[in-house]
Amino acid sequence: MKAALLMLAVVAACHRHEEPRPTPKAAIAPLAHATQADLARELEAADRRGTWASVRQRWQGQALHWTVTRYRSLCGAADACFVAPFPISRPAKHGWMPQLELSAGELARVEAGCGAAEQCQVTFEGTLRELTASAEQPTALRISDVHIVSATHG
Amino acid sequence: MKKMIMAGLMMTGSLVAHASSHREAPMIAEDQYVDNTDVYAFISPTDPNKLVIVADYVPLLLPTSGPNYYKFSDDARYEVHIDNNGDAKPDITYRWTFASQRKNGATFLYNTGAVDSLTSPNLNVTQTYTLEKIDEHSGARGVIMQDVPVAPWNVGKRSFANYEQVALQAVKQVNGTSAFAGPRDEPFFVDLHVFDLLGVGGSHTTDGLNVMSLVLEVPINEIAQGGVRPASGMTGKTSVVGIYASASRPQVRVLRTGRDRDDYGKYVQVSRLGWPLINEVIIPLQDKDKYNRSSPKDDVANFGAYILDPEVPKLLNLVLNANCAATPAGGRTDIVGLLAPNGTAAADLLRINITMGQTADQSHFPNGRALTDDVTDTLLTVACNNGSHIGDGVDANDKPFTATFPYLASPASGNP
Repeated sequence: MKAALLMLAVVAACHRHEEPRPTPKAAIAPLAHATQADLARELEAADRRGTWASVRQRWQGQALHWTVTRYRSLCGAADACFVAPFPISRPAKHGWMPQLELSAGELARVEAGCGAAEQCQVTFEGTLRELTASAEQPTALRISDVHIVSATHG
Repeated sequence: MKKMIMAGLMMTGSLVAHASSHREAPMIAEDQYVDNTDVYAFISPTDPNKLVIVADYVPLLLPTSGPNYYKFSDDARYEVHIDNNGDAKPDITYRWTFASQRKNGATFLYNTGAVDSLTSPNLNVTQTYTLEKIDEHSGARGVIMQDVPVAPWNVGKRSFANYEQVALQAVKQVNGTSAFAGPRDEPFFVDLHVFDLLGVGGSHTTDGLNVMSLVLEVPINEIAQGGVRPASGMTGKTSVVGIYASASRPQVRVLRTGRDRDDYGKYVQVSRLGWPLINEVIIPLQDKDKYNRSSPKDDVANFGAYILDPEVPKLLNLVLNANCAATPAGGRTDIVGLLAPNGTAAADLLRINITMGQTADQSHFPNGRALTDDVTDTLLTVACNNGSHIGDGVDANDKPFTATFPYLASPASGNP
């Protein structure tokens, strides 16, 4: 019993390190600035201030309109398409590569636009369905309902 | 030219300041006993139907580290994970768990007299382990062997007249699987003098140090997808297996004044390793601890951009004028390709071809990793990507490796 109480106390103490969760909202307020650079800035701030929960709260569910780099070797299947959110920056400041959940038709649009090029620019619209971001876990993004606006290379 | 590169390497502390994965991230550096250092995998030189896997832990051990010599942690799980279908998710896991014993608590001595066998009454402090095999799909766990002795520390000549004869009694064979756990000579060779005001230059700084090794030799058909070794010439995703080692600790530890500590909760991964040097020179400081907690299947999602655009060649150019090739506009897809052979998902896994006919001679990094492979030179050369050989000036281990299981050299003695 004493051990169980101790464990509860430890668990409770650990939870106090995380900021209070913001009150859930009925609908996500669209962000005025929702580029990948905006997200990166907020994640950097969260790393300093511990505001991970509010970043997740603000960004999950956001409609995105991003232009990214598609590497053929990392985006060759509808359920395994990872794209680079930033150009090569020598060196990369962030490791994360968003996962796009593509329908078969959208993957075909990517492949038609990119052809055999190793990398190409893809502009898409989609919903940030899941943002993994915390002091403990590496950042990861899952973007669903992806619609390809354009895919070009050269 | 080589001299200039070596001189330049003196100034690239972040490049070679760490051995393969020794003390590579801030948090794991505070928890030495569960710190992965290296993983090796090669077709057995004595039986080409078997695969040898070496998972090393507990870095940079001084032989004269008594009276409480190094061991494995009794509170941790040490695991080797195998992906046999190319999706970067473990399909089979081998798990070691340890328990320590002492015969006489009224002495400070590790051994109370000369030791000539593992069952010697003079061997006061001992450790044993259980080795399990876990089917990650069904969750089924089977004990391969239990109460297996860990080889003792090589205390010195007064304690062990013939240390290796005693240590090799810790080799256990069950149903075609061989296992060994215990101290060995540190097999990783590199120049660590970078810490002395960047004074690197071909010094064998890991010579004379030890490491804690888990060595496993298993029939290849027991780790291949479906239990069948792929045919010779196959090139699909199942023609290779991907391997990584990890260590995990219970989530909650309660320290007490009245008795020993208690550990509670599920096990949390605190360290992992597939390729050498990934967490050292590819993953930046901000993500090193996160890397150790994460899974290879998520490596592209979490860390892919670092691999496409690594820091290493920029540092080589900045500090060494090494004339490394600029990262192409399309990124280092060549490195991604090395991490994704035969159509497998890109991940930090040590992948090796297991098709019929493969031999030990073909097991060289990045197709597996032999004990003799100079991975520092290989990876620096790949990173620089200008056609020149880049090296640290240390090209081989000080002690020869052995021709028979467990293949690693006998550990350095605390009193030679």
